[in-house]
Amino acid sequence: MSLAIAGMGWVTPLGVGVDSIWERLLQGEEASATTISEQFANRVYSIFRVPESALKGFSHPRLRRASAISRFAAAAGLHALEAAGLKLESQNAERIALIFAISNGGVTYTKRFYREIVSTGAQAASPLLFPETVFNAPASHLAAILGVTGATYTLVGDGAVGLAAITMAKELMANEALDYCLVVGTEEIDWLLCDAYRRWRLLRKAPPIEPFSKQNRGMILSEGAGAILLARDGFVTIERAHPGTYFGRQTEAEKILKHILCDLGQVEIDLVISSANGTFVDQAECQPIQEIVPNALVYTGKPALGESVGAAGLWQIILGAQALCSKEIPPVLHANHSVLLQLSLSRTAMASARRAIVLSCGLNQQTAGLRLATGNTPVGFHRATSGHKPAEMVGLTAEPGLQSEPNLFFGKSACVLG
Amino acid sequence: MAQADRRERTNDPVRVAVTAAGVVSPLGFGLAETLESLRSARDCVTPVMRFSVTQCRCKTAGQVSDSRLLAGHSQIPRSGRLHRASHMMIQALQQLVIQQPEFEPELTVVGTTSGGMSYGERYYRSLNGAGDLRHAPTWIANYPAQKPVIDAQTAFGISAPCHVIANACASGTNAIGHAFECVRSGRYKRVLAGGYDALAEMVFVGFDSLQASTPEKCRPFDRYRSGMVLGEGAAVLALENLDLARERGTPVLAEIIGYGISTDNFHITQPEPSGVGARQAIERALESAHISAADVDYINAHGTATTFNDAAEGKAISALFDGVPVSSTKSMIGHPLGAAGAIEAVVCLLALQHQFLPANINFTTPDTDVDLNIVANEARSAVVSVALSNSFGFGGTNASMLMRKFPPSSGLPRTIDA
Repeated sequence: MSLAIAGMGWVTPLGVGVDSIWERLLQGEEASATTISEQFANRVYSIFRVPESALKGFSHPRLRRASAISRFAAAAGLHALEAAGLKLESQNAERIALIFAISNGGVTYTKRFYREIVSTGAQAASPLLFPETVFNAPASHLAAILGVTGATYTLVGDGAVGLAAITMAKELMANEALDYCLVVGTEEIDWLLCDAYRRWRLLRKAPPIEPFSKQNRGMILSEGAGAILLARDGFVTIERAHPGTYFGRQTEAEKILKHILCDLGQVEIDLVISSANGTFVDQAECQPIQEIVPNALVYTGKPALGESVGAAGLWQIILGAQALCSKEIPPVLHANHSVLLQLSLSRTAMASARRAIVLSCGLNQQTAGLRLATGNTPVGFHRATSGHKPAEMVGLTAEPGLQSEPNLFFGKSACVLG
Repeated sequence: MAQADRRERTNDPVRVAVTAAGVVSPLGFGLAETLESLRSARDCVTPVMRFSVTQCRCKTAGQVSDSRLLAGHSQIPRSGRLHRASHMMIQALQQLVIQQPEFEPELTVVGTTSGGMSYGERYYRSLNGAGDLRHAPTWIANYPAQKPVIDAQTAFGISAPCHVIANACASGTNAIGHAFECVRSGRYKRVLAGGYDALAEMVFVGFDSLQASTPEKCRPFDRYRSGMVLGEGAAVLALENLDLARERGTPVLAEIIGYGISTDNFHITQPEPSGVGARQAIERALESAHISAADVDYINAHGTATTFNDAAEGKAISALFDGVPVSSTKSMIGHPLGAAGAIEAVVCLLALQHQFLPANINFTTPDTDVDLNIVANEARSAVVSVALSNSFGFGGTNASMLMRKFPPSSGLPRTIDA
């Protein structure tokens, strides 16, 4: 069964839109860090945020009270459909599945909801916030916007969950009743997450992320979404997906990654999109890459875009697909030049590149990999056929700016499914 | 290997057997205790002592005993640090492994809604000045939703990749349904599937804030129903290619024959009032099983006892079925959220194996708007060949699964004693 990328959407701290973000990465740009603080703590953390201006004007009634994670996901998902020129109608709403990859979910509203309980008591808890704390809230918003009536799944995991979602999509697409599967990875940042990763010694106080450094100085969290529309034909094919497995200790990750690379690297590999982020992940990936695919160029986008956890796997696939299509790869920023990998240290042309491996080692025990190859459909075909704006496709209305806080005039409701 | 080979050659869908099951719920630990509690229609809902509920309308839940839960895990390294959900998963998987020591899944699919939420709560409270942060790394490490699954697999040497589905209250049925499809398609021979959720203050208060939970008894489908009570637990099922299981002489407990999923997009917490989403899921399950509604002998309803869920589900059931016995076992154990579908799959399995209809307790007055044949207050013996299990969740996710007695019965009267 053939599975291919028919369209992609991208929301990152470097902006919105695959082509513009890609161009900025090729130019060697990186996201600007901002700081995040919390009222009950003195510590301040550096993060890579999606600029508020990036989604200005993007709105929908269903998103009025939604958290940032849902808005990122909706924007990326709609861009992926637009890129593929796919307009969903009631006739084909059953023939598309939606799979979300999430790690921490709507943590901002979760914290606000629980803060009310802790500070004021259960009676103060807002019935508006609670539904947005549920892991599948972003998926349900996008399903409603698109009118999807078939399968909708939310997968939860660590940085490898995006690749797990692709594996699941591959399983769903084996059913010929489906024509498309839209896979979306999304994440939002909160101070709590930064503090948690810091206590786990995975976070760096301030940029840069230094990939493959021997010191493992840590990562910087980021937010956004990536969306990939999978079809049976497209400009890049998913040749093989490896579901990986979990590791009990960080030191066991290397062995599992080697196994994944052995499976995926049985053909000539031109490029590896690594998940190196300045943590133990880098060392876990380094030796297997050196050993199994020593001649492949290696790229990680995390120094430029940050560690977006649940969205990270989708971002890596977008990077791999873009590299295969554009036949070049951006520079790896802040890298250790002495590492024995074919790191792309400057913007590098890859005229004959055909295949890329996307390798993912999560921070919470999960791993996965997949292999991309240039497809039969000419690059640009899908974009050329797209005549619709996302807003036109689903009845979105342009409003000035985004609401960053939920509208709290909505009363209590007993109309609950449970 | 004759039958399996023939199916492979003819591309017939693979039949899917349940060859082992483990369960931890307020009904008891293991199949025997669960069966006894179901037969005696035991009300397992008790006052909540785990956290303060003084400001909540509802003050009860279906709870799993801590003393039994934590017993017997001393051989597991650092078991004292694990989340209660991990202990539930370990207990459930232990029962399964005892039944089927040779079961080696190629994939694990588990549903949950809240993961390790209570550890997130402790972390937040401690940060907020109400506790000691020395244990924060433990709480953080055990917070991710995949952790209980990995803990359970590690305890029994299972290394399968795990997909954690978080489709709100439909998660458990979605997990088993997806696992069923993976085996049925022939892509996997053995998949471990299930669901878990442990009671957490934030979730408890969340449902209370929505006025979804009741200060009274949980009375699904009763005219005077006033809401749900929460529950907790875990259940796992071993799903295998039926032909392969029989060829190696493994006892088959039941057969999963169909699965349906739909998304109704009506509201993030409300079902579509006409029940169209629920109806679509049931119809798709029947279609997937190649059976008609007349072939179904028992329906384990989602039946949360909220006004709107039971009305919508009741409409869907009465539109498709003619007098089929219906019960919601949530009346006995509360709503265990992500574990609900998995525990209810075990309930259906026991009903098929032991030929009885589990009760819908606390039922006093039929709802004239919902014309259903409720198995009121007492379990009763019956011929049960096919059982349907429904699960519906926030975000408009609907899932239905069909299970058949194995070996299938033929030509017997449908009711032994009414």
